[in-house]
Amino acid sequence: MTASTGIELRRAAVTAPAVGGAAARTLLSPTSLRLSESRVALIGANGQGKTTLLRLLAGLIAPSSGTVLVNGLDWASDAKRLRGSVGLLFADTAAQLIMPVVQEDVELSLRPRKLARRERAAQAAAELAALGIESLAERSVYELSGGERQLVALAGLRAAAPQLLLADEPTAALDLVHRDRVAEALLASEAAVVVATHDLELAAECERALWIHGGRVVADGLPEPLIAAYRASARGAAPWPTGATS
Amino acid sequence: MNPGPGALLTWIAGDSPVHRAPLWLKYLLLLAVGVLGTVWRTAPVGLGLLALSVALYALAGRRVLRAWPAPLRFWWWILALLGAYQWFFVSPPAAVGLIGCMFALVQLARLLLLTTRTAALLDGLTALATALRIPPARTTLVLALFLRTLPELSASWGRAREAAAARGVKRAPLRTATSLGVTAVARARDAGDAIAARGLLEARRPDEPAP
Repeated sequence: MTASTGIELRRAAVTAPAVGGAAARTLLSPTSLRLSESRVALIGANGQGKTTLLRLLAGLIAPSSGTVLVNGLDWASDAKRLRGSVGLLFADTAAQLIMPVVQEDVELSLRPRKLARRERAAQAAAELAALGIESLAERSVYELSGGERQLVALAGLRAAAPQLLLADEPTAALDLVHRDRVAEALLASEAAVVVATHDLELAAECERALWIHGGRVVADGLPEPLIAAYRASARGAAPWPTGATS
Repeated sequence: MNPGPGALLTWIAGDSPVHRAPLWLKYLLLLAVGVLGTVWRTAPVGLGLLALSVALYALAGRRVLRAWPAPLRFWWWILALLGAYQWFFVSPPAAVGLIGCMFALVQLARLLLLTTRTAALLDGLTALATALRIPPARTTLVLALFLRTLPELSASWGRAREAAAARGVKRAPLRTATSLGVTAVARARDAGDAIAARGLLEARRPDEPAP
């Protein structure tokens, strides 16, 4: 059964502090929302706050103000319990692979469970097989193509069995075959998924979409109309939105 | 990902006696030759250890043996510099002893990584850490990150040089080193994020109090 996202933001905001002569910058304006769908897409142009929101949900950055709750737990006070239940697939998956060999990297995610060596290896192999990449098990992570790396990073995350899977541009720069495999794996995941993407086809497969612009959620609803509005703005047929829904 | 010199430390599959040897035996041998090559840094010992390293690489299989000279491609200038200094300011036998021992010990340590899966190294370390009552999860992760960092730094060096060359900039070691330093800090931050994003440690957020 697919989990629901169970995310709640209560006036959560992120501000980059002033550095040198540069003034402080608002990366995410105070945002309040509840997400209970199992597949949510974040769309919007580059540098508008999608990754900031994902990192906030992953607990990698703390809100400058407000609260972030996942499944009723507050990142500020329940980080220990939340850490293992939320996974983030990086946009640059090269940074995500820690071990030198594919199978070992997936096994690394299973180490906290203190399984016997054989059991750990079998589970890692099963994760690779589930994504159709068992043939990569003995390959060096340095020799993988971008698409293979993405799938291996996803296998490593899935092995940790998170309840909430966050993905930052998971299909960017992938060929069609790998794009489809990554998208399919994400959409078929048992975990709830929040995906920040420019792949509007993938966004359309989700149950709900948020359009993020200028550090604000400017539109929130069903993917199809929201994607159409975003396309119109991006192509100059409509002005960029200025208001916010939250 | 640019493999660069990082590939020097990557495990090579095989079923040789060296691959199959128990981890404790490999560590014991490494410790023994480490003591020998550090305490008796003479020319015969240096040459003997070099010969031993070639013999063990050969025993580990053709693919491993082919990898023996690979470090020279990247580190020859360090050996040449040290060797020249010893040759002219101490004596030729001292130069042979120092360079021979140093390179042989690097090669034998490398053989451990080339013929032992990182998972097996981590299992060994976990057992040792548990016996010594050191938190095993953190200890193994430190080793994993250490093994990951060396190839990453090497690859970053290669990328910085390629990026400069692609824009027609001549070799500039200082500029490349600066870029490497910045990249290393960024990569360290990414590695921390990756650990947290995979739920591997109960990493703290900047606003969380220390335990």
